[in-house]
Amino acid sequence: MSAPRARDARRTEGPREALRLTTRAAVARGPHIGWEIAELRLDEPKAHEVRVKFHAAGLCHSDDHITQGDARPRFPIVGGHEGAGVVESVGPDVRRVKAGDRIVCSYIPACGACKPCSTGRQNMCVTGRNAGSGMFLDGTFRFHLDGEDLGGFCSLGTFSQYAVVSEWACIPLPEDVPYEVGALVSCGVPAGWGSAVYAAGVRAGDTVVVFGAGGVGSNAVQGARYAGARHVVVIDPVEFKREMSKVFGATHAFAEAATAHEFVAEATGGRLADHAICTPGVVTQEIVEAALDIVGKGGKVTITAAGKATEKAVHVPGILLIRGQRQIRGALCGDCNPLYDVPNLLDLYRSGDLKLDELITRRYRLDEINDGYRDLADGRNIRGVIVHEH
Amino acid sequence: MGMTTRAAICRKPGTPWEITDLELDDPKSGEVRIQFAAAGLCHSDDHIQKGTAPMRMPVVGGHEGAGIVDAVGPGVTRVAAGDHVACSFVSVCGTCRYCATGRQNLCEKSVNAATGMLPDGTFRFHADGVDVGGMCVLGTFSEYAVVSEFSVIPIPGDIPFDVAALVSCGVPTGWGSAVYVAGVRAGDTVVIYGSGGVGGNAVQGARFAGAATVVVVDPVPYKREMAEVLGATHTFADAAKAHEFVVETTSGELADHAVITVGELDDEVIGHALGVVGRSGQVTITAVGGGSLDANPGQLIGFQRRVQGAVFGGCNPLYDVPRLLALYRSGHLKIDELITRRYRLEDVNEGYRDMADGKNIRGVIIHEEGP
Repeated sequence: MSAPRARDARRTEGPREALRLTTRAAVARGPHIGWEIAELRLDEPKAHEVRVKFHAAGLCHSDDHITQGDARPRFPIVGGHEGAGVVESVGPDVRRVKAGDRIVCSYIPACGACKPCSTGRQNMCVTGRNAGSGMFLDGTFRFHLDGEDLGGFCSLGTFSQYAVVSEWACIPLPEDVPYEVGALVSCGVPAGWGSAVYAAGVRAGDTVVVFGAGGVGSNAVQGARYAGARHVVVIDPVEFKREMSKVFGATHAFAEAATAHEFVAEATGGRLADHAICTPGVVTQEIVEAALDIVGKGGKVTITAAGKATEKAVHVPGILLIRGQRQIRGALCGDCNPLYDVPNLLDLYRSGDLKLDELITRRYRLDEINDGYRDLADGRNIRGVIVHEH
Repeated sequence: MGMTTRAAICRKPGTPWEITDLELDDPKSGEVRIQFAAAGLCHSDDHIQKGTAPMRMPVVGGHEGAGIVDAVGPGVTRVAAGDHVACSFVSVCGTCRYCATGRQNLCEKSVNAATGMLPDGTFRFHADGVDVGGMCVLGTFSEYAVVSEFSVIPIPGDIPFDVAALVSCGVPTGWGSAVYVAGVRAGDTVVIYGSGGVGGNAVQGARFAGAATVVVVDPVPYKREMAEVLGATHTFADAAKAHEFVVETTSGELADHAVITVGELDDEVIGHALGVVGRSGQVTITAVGGGSLDANPGQLIGFQRRVQGAVFGGCNPLYDVPRLLALYRSGHLKIDELITRRYRLEDVNEGYRDMADGKNIRGVIIHEEGP
């Protein structure tokens, strides 16, 4: 371990001392009190870590789960797990990227060596275990405020101008892809796309029902359509989202599950849907029940969106699963392997097969982050994006 | 025309099986009359007798059975009089969407299991003018029954009928739950809750598919002993101990699969099963009962767990029943060992008492007048 330390020492003598050691960031101190902009102290990157200058960050519902009290992270926490920027500096032993590289952060790191990574399941990489605390694997933190340690959500913290993150979370972003588009491929795009393509495993000719067409669900719609679904039925109470879902490939959109059910029953001759994908803002028991009700024999319900940590929204009598051999499953990052799928999705964007520009409804300054989440709650955004000022 | 047949019927939930003589119609188009030699005492029949599963009453019990085709109605092509057959508790039309896509267990014609009504909307059993259905449109607790040709599968003449009877339901349901629905792979750790007539075969399936560790949880010592005969590597009386063992042997990575094959599904066993599987682990629910999955979405999302229901173990009866019998003949599949006791039809209630007391892996009725 002496070699990395020596290199570390060498670097701190160099031009790195000119780097800013503080950063402005949106911090949640506890549930129900919104995001607060604070000036934080940021450590240097240690071994296998890089310092990123973020240009864009996505306003995903998962961060809102923190401030709404639905999730139980370690507080205080720097928000943001969708982000793209430039690698400013690297710690010892970093191989995947170098200073100056444009990158996307994957909200789940992929170490490439653990059991899940070794078996094509990078979405469950064991190094992603501190997502809720933001603690680094050596037990320390990189953000500090008045002597207090702060983690970054998903060990990222993209609601900060700068952050130190694991090199395993960094994925190269091509020159011709804007940062704000890249930021969405951190989480929402693969989580939605992969929920349809991989986790559900939609096949040509299938009937697929997507519950909730926001920043994740819109991509489930794109994935289902691209995989060849015949009917892509969206259920969303917000008219704007139903309209947008048609842009992304929905064949039918309904405000209510009951009317969607009628349609699906009729369109399939009573056989019902092959897949239901749950991507609402918050998964409720009502949604899970409607999803199970709308899939037919051999049907599958894929749950991608989180619920309230205090509620058991999944309440399913076993007999409902046995009858018709139905399945209910969870999907993490849509079953994607970030190192493969993020570049693949960016390629599909560049070739025009995947719509990402259309996902971005509004842009905000970091100071406006609470406005952004209000707009999300009001159903005004597919995705809001923070454009960091530097 | 028609004939009479002795059968065990249930007139209403909660009352014991009653032996009575029924009138039996001749087979109509696409139907066959079977003279049953043997019938398995599966827990599902007990569920309808106890009222824990809905069923039109009165009903002739029994959906595991084997015998000889006694007569065929017009248009029957799959079998001929004199053929040895096993019944399949799911019918297989061979042409619907599910049959056409390798999912015969979900056949669209298999819709009247809970009424016993034949596809034309009428019944073949009658008791003093009252229509009586057969469990799963079969009714193997009868000496004779008229069933759809879609519910019978020809078997080789050298297979004992009591062995063949178990391949109607318990064997494929358990085996397939591990092999097909769970999809156990070489090196996996599999936990099986309940090692009776279905679970015992899930054990065999898991082991045959290459599971490194097959853990059985069953409170009955005799069933745990038998589970080891069938291939379990470790057995536990309670789920908490099994969980500890799995944590230890997998270095905390937990099991790849949990298969629930208990007599009566409840919330608790589903909770144990969900907790014992690790990343991308699957819980396969085969047992019926009133239990529910109660979970926060995060419990499914975080480790990307799946909970999957299983019908007939995901087997295709026309393919898997003969195949399982071939595995029996080659010595790969233990079926003789599953048969703990044999009963006369009159003793059906005693057979279910023995099952409830944990004395049987599988009890079998041998029809005395049978072939």
